[in-house]
Amino acid sequence: MANPRSLANSTALRDETVLRRVRHFGSARNGLQEWRLQRLTALALIPLALYFVASMLWLATSDQATAAAWLASPVPALLVILFVLAGFTHALVGLRSVLLDYVHTRARLLAAELLVRAAVIILGAASVLAVLKLFLGR
Amino acid sequence: MERPISPFMFPTWYRFQITSSLSILHRLTGIALAVGSILLAWWLIAVAAGGELFAATHAFIASPIGMLLLFLWSIAFFYHLCNGIRHLAWDAGHGFEIRQASHSGYAVLAATAVLTVLTWLYVFLA
Repeated sequence: MANPRSLANSTALRDETVLRRVRHFGSARNGLQEWRLQRLTALALIPLALYFVASMLWLATSDQATAAAWLASPVPALLVILFVLAGFTHALVGLRSVLLDYVHTRARLLAAELLVRAAVIILGAASVLAVLKLFLGR
Repeated sequence: MERPISPFMFPTWYRFQITSSLSILHRLTGIALAVGSILLAWWLIAVAAGGELFAATHAFIASPIGMLLLFLWSIAFFYHLCNGIRHLAWDAGHGFEIRQASHSGYAVLAATAVLTVLTWLYVFLA
């Protein structure tokens, strides 16, 4: 962001929240953080998701032993765990923004948010645990 | 409260535009991929558990329904990936002119088609 005339400076990609820019424009509590988290996980997911999909194509016809041996080696284990964490975080932020747009009742919104959060946390934690189990050889 | 609210404006009240269509498609494919992450978690757990669970998972994935789901998810994945890069370019301040936005939209559709076809050619030929 060295160039002050760069268009990026007029978007939320700039490094700081400037109070005078957001005054009178509504709440500026956590929206920017979430917006930025969505973009940072998106950037991380470009290589991570391509790596995962390429690995799945390579593993496509293999048996359980081959897949388990692949997940037990350090680099795939690390990259798959990072893919799972970035992916589920990205999914949570995205699904929440859809719910906020389309669910118009407070009670329903709360219920839907709790459901989505619970699902993402359980699926994400179970995925990480599965990879750790193979990696640690238990 | 009789006024129409989102997302029901789309087919009835607004004319077709490539930009708005791709925007809603980005959300739809995002939701589809989030649903697909259930299979991702399931597959990882099946590999870790081994035995019958892995055999059942493998059989499901290799079944016609499993392959159809994988095919649809591959389209959703490549679309969301390519259009996501388009979104990141916008976030960095590039490509906001209407002509540019529409051209990049068609480019995303073309890239999605090419990547999906190449992927499945690889699956069936290799």
